[in-house]
Amino acid sequence: MNLKLFAIIFILFSSALSGCLEEEILESLEQECVTLPAGHEDDGKLRILTYDVLALNDSMIDQFESFTGIEVEFIKETDSGGILDQMMLTKEAQQADLMIGLDNSYLQTAIDNCLLRETLFTQNPQYDNISNSALEPYQGKLAIPFDQGTVCLNYDENFVDGENITVPTSLWNLTETQWNGKTVFPSPLSSSPGRAFMLATIDYFENDGDDQTDAFDWWSEMENNGATFTSGWSEAYETHYTGGYGEYTVGHIGDSHLTVSYCHSPGVEAFYSSNWTHSTSLILPKSTYHQVEYTGIINGAANVAGAESFIEYLLSNDVNTMMPENNLMYSVLENSSLPETDGFRFHSDIATQNAEIPLERIELNMELWLSKWKTSTQ
Amino acid sequence: MLTGKQKSIISNSAQWVVIISYSLAIILPLTYAIMRLEAVTGVSSIESIFTFFEQPLTKEALRFTILESLFSVALTLTIGLPLAWQLSRYEWKRIAIIRSLLSIPFVMPSIVAAMGFLALIDQGGPLQKIGIDLRGESGVFTNISSFTGLENPGHFIALIIAHAWFNISLIVRMVEPTLSTMDPRWEEQIKLLPAGNTRLGRVKNLWMPFIGPAIACASALCFVFSFTSFALVKWLTPNNSTLESLMADSGGTAGIYNYRIDTSEIVLSICIVQLIILVSALALTSRLQRKHSLRHAMVSESSARRSRGRPTISAKIIVSVGLVFTLLPLALVTISSFIVRTIEDGSITNDFSLDAWKAVYDGDNSTVGLQEALSNSLIYSLITLIFSITIGWVMASSIHRLEKSGNNKLAKIVDMISLAPLAISAVMIGLGILLGILRWSPSLFNWFLIPVLPHILLTTPFVVRIMLPAIRSLDSSFEEQAGMLGLSPLKIWIHSKLSFLLAPLAVAGSLTIAFSLGEFGATWILVRSGSWDTLSILVDQLMSQPKFNPLIYPMAMASATVLMILTFILFLLAEKVRPNGEGSGF
Repeated sequence: MNLKLFAIIFILFSSALSGCLEEEILESLEQECVTLPAGHEDDGKLRILTYDVLALNDSMIDQFESFTGIEVEFIKETDSGGILDQMMLTKEAQQADLMIGLDNSYLQTAIDNCLLRETLFTQNPQYDNISNSALEPYQGKLAIPFDQGTVCLNYDENFVDGENITVPTSLWNLTETQWNGKTVFPSPLSSSPGRAFMLATIDYFENDGDDQTDAFDWWSEMENNGATFTSGWSEAYETHYTGGYGEYTVGHIGDSHLTVSYCHSPGVEAFYSSNWTHSTSLILPKSTYHQVEYTGIINGAANVAGAESFIEYLLSNDVNTMMPENNLMYSVLENSSLPETDGFRFHSDIATQNAEIPLERIELNMELWLSKWKTSTQ
Repeated sequence: MLTGKQKSIISNSAQWVVIISYSLAIILPLTYAIMRLEAVTGVSSIESIFTFFEQPLTKEALRFTILESLFSVALTLTIGLPLAWQLSRYEWKRIAIIRSLLSIPFVMPSIVAAMGFLALIDQGGPLQKIGIDLRGESGVFTNISSFTGLENPGHFIALIIAHAWFNISLIVRMVEPTLSTMDPRWEEQIKLLPAGNTRLGRVKNLWMPFIGPAIACASALCFVFSFTSFALVKWLTPNNSTLESLMADSGGTAGIYNYRIDTSEIVLSICIVQLIILVSALALTSRLQRKHSLRHAMVSESSARRSRGRPTISAKIIVSVGLVFTLLPLALVTISSFIVRTIEDGSITNDFSLDAWKAVYDGDNSTVGLQEALSNSLIYSLITLIFSITIGWVMASSIHRLEKSGNNKLAKIVDMISLAPLAISAVMIGLGILLGILRWSPSLFNWFLIPVLPHILLTTPFVVRIMLPAIRSLDSSFEEQAGMLGLSPLKIWIHSKLSFLLAPLAVAGSLTIAFSLGEFGATWILVRSGSWDTLSILVDQLMSQPKFNPLIYPMAMASATVLMILTFILFLLAEKVRPNGEGSGF
């Protein structure tokens, strides 16, 4: 058959040429960071690499454009991890000026790979208004926090109360029969909250006083206990979890009563449901992870001035204090809080002791941890 | 003054330039993507086939993909054949509208189809109300699961129904014209012969030889589309992956040196295995279509229909059920755009409201408003139309010319190249384009026309498939006769070719625009420019957001409704352009 022959020749042809790319590998080896020339032409536009950050809506961008006269163009990724992937992929010729949305579980990889350049915003008086908690994971000049939240387990109160189940006091409780087939987790391989929670479990089991087991033993036990793993947060929270808004949406399966979300997710549920929710957070010390999302100028940006202006705009009081309403995350500014309207603040739970894993350790071990996680849950 | 031979050389050269450019646009990104993945992983393409079968995840995805594709083909035939049969047999009053309605699913963005089906199978949805709980998998589905060992049988059934819904127009559009143009006298005559005096005998000796190739060709294409299904799998069978969805999940991190090498390995191995399977399926399609075209256009469709008279009651029932099956998920999408939930003291009420339409028009929660997304969609689809029709026509003419000159092998190769985009993963093409642009011409990265390239690659195979049978059936004596009348070359071309090809051109044009409207830029290009978001991307963007805000879901459905209406209008216009609705096949 000609067609099969064609396919075979094609495969052989591409195999033979792969050697040509070895020089690219050498070029990509780590080097000391220098500020790179613009990876794209400066046509006055500001190109922002981001995912679908809710706050970046039409009216917010219109306002920035009319204030500054700078036209904004987006390069969109699906999530926080996608932003890092895109910057890694376009390392030699960056196509955006500013990134918005990389979180602290990805930030160090971006820093180590020289993907970001310093911003002047740290000299801006508004920088001093950023809360200590937001600056805790990273305080350098390469990235500025713009929103934050705490990733933690959420559970359906109706299930726990209705089935008369004891609220878990340890993550090991979730490996018991009463939770069999009733938990769902977004995968750390493809989900940012999933990755944050996996990090939390590493710290949790390193500090639980038991040297015989680690986080991956727990993940393995969860797999044995019928836990469901999904590629993203939406699939876990919306499709499987019974405590959230998913029950009002099409496609809801509702077979899991515990999932990973934010400690303030019950508050958001209440905010949109007239101060009512049956979802709550499971606050166990060290099982929560403080997630901070950053904006930063890309190393290879063409419109650096425009990028600086946008950082200033994003961190301005008017925009940043509206993060809870517009982006469903906490503001990073000092003295700002969640609105009290419709029980947003009342139903948002506060973590007692977050997991602590330095960014450098995350960067050093992430590939290994992800690989171990994959093995544990297969 | 150029001689006839010189003109022919120039014309042939121009055709080859188009064919070679098109081939390079497919082969270069794919080759570069494969080369890069090989360099990143240190694994050759051939080795990657072996690594594919070493990984439980990919093996399971292959098993699931083949299973769902085969079942989808079977169900599509079960529903589509009776519909095609009844539609072809009688003189239907509003055949143009019926065909347009039946064609809508095929060009709907898959995410809209997924939402329609989720609404259909939802807890409290129409199917669950009549005792079929495909989503919650209660009742009979628990027994199916324990009896067969198949996990989530309800989700699996929902997926194959959705695939059947999606592909039903393939069967109708390919089989119905063959049936409706058959000379009714054949049927009368075979009844008088021993070979045709029983129903089974007529099926064996008349119908199967006549429509068999069309059925096989439509089945092969249905297999390809089900095999590469992505959005429907993601939403309807959340616990399973097809090869395409597995590759899309890993695609973002593929091709990067010293970073997530495991994903590059997965993408490379899936790409090669998928390529081999799909090239085989499409080779079969191409072969069958050649056979199919030989039996095309026996008599005028309208006269054949007239001779069979008005539709019977049973024909009306079957077509009505088919239309309800087609329209129900779409109707549910439209209804959903007007329903906004309100929760008071824990009890939910669903109110009729225009709030979502207003919000989506204003661009709340999205980077562009409805109006801008609509105009972006139309601009992209019109540009796609110009390129795809030109390239598709040139390729179809070249294949026909090669066949006529006895150069069948070369004709087959060009035919296969025209089908190639259907066999190659969208993720790989997207990755290849992205890497290629970054390496050789980074300034093109943000060029607004870049997303048109995958649109052209996706739609051209359909233009070729529609134009080729039409060009093959052209009578060359018309051209000779027009030449003898002393007409100018342009007039000869208009009278001997264009006037006969208007009908298939209208079908190809409407299909191209509709495909382009529904195409997912995100899955093809891997990145997208928010300023040029199209309607289908707006739907996806809204659907991907957390839906704490009760307006988000109806906003997505409002955008999807606009897309549906636009598609329907386009198909209706195409049907009107076509004289007497003749030659409706793809």
